[in-house]
Amino acid sequence: MAAVGETAPETEARRLAEDARDRVRFEEEALDLADQVYRVARRMVSSREEAEDLMQETYARAFRSWRSFQPGTNLRAWLLRILTNLNIDRGRRVQRSPDMQPLEEGDYFLYNRLEESTQGQNPDEERVLERLSQDDAVSALSAVPHDFRDAIVLVDIGDFSYNDAAQILDIPVGTVMSRLHRGRRILKQELAERAVADGGDSR
Amino acid sequence: MSGYAIDPCDQCEEMIQPFLDRELSEEERQVAESHLDGCDYCRKRYKFEERLRRYVRQAVTESMSPELKAKLAELRTPLI
Repeated sequence: MAAVGETAPETEARRLAEDARDRVRFEEEALDLADQVYRVARRMVSSREEAEDLMQETYARAFRSWRSFQPGTNLRAWLLRILTNLNIDRGRRVQRSPDMQPLEEGDYFLYNRLEESTQGQNPDEERVLERLSQDDAVSALSAVPHDFRDAIVLVDIGDFSYNDAAQILDIPVGTVMSRLHRGRRILKQELAERAVADGGDSR
Repeated sequence: MSGYAIDPCDQCEEMIQPFLDRELSEEERQVAESHLDGCDYCRKRYKFEERLRRYVRQAVTESMSPELKAKLAELRTPLI
């Protein structure tokens, strides 16, 4: 702890003042991003209560360890990295990718199912999605296994790049891409089931 | 399955997701766009994917409560 050389009291005072100013700025910037962080957090967990707890733990830890944030890097990604780690610490195990049969129709699944169910009426994709309600999207997304869902939520809702998502989840970029790919397929399959079940008279 | 190694529509299909994620290189984007210009089928697929994504995004977005916002602000380090 011994200082190298002498530190005049006023230099020390200035350092403390600068430190306090940096911290205040950090806290303000982090709070400004809270809405965006929450939108992602909310879909990483199953309930609002869980998301709120996780947000508080995340911000408490972020404010405590603000010095480890490197100014000029992506603060939103840094906060989500903390949040993701806390979420795992809270008991969510890192999930092994389930061995899944590739879906026969792959990416065309939803498209084809929706087309089929509007048979003979000159299918109009402008309208097929209108058959799905807001609840359909929420329940379909929560039916996606969480490892895949996290990738979708970060990229599609959080607007993170593949690189940022890889850093947040601490996995290689290639894994982000494959999880997105498989996760989106599962999501579409889930949506297709709901669209067909709604039978065309949902909102 | 067309049986051909490079079917332009298959190639285009593979680019849909990174295209919408804005993760294609400039060169790849141009390849995708020039194919899309001339292919009704793929253009329809892209539009559908784009609309689907927008729908999911809007449908699942939930805002933070003012109470939570206030709680987070309270976690700030008090100024002495």
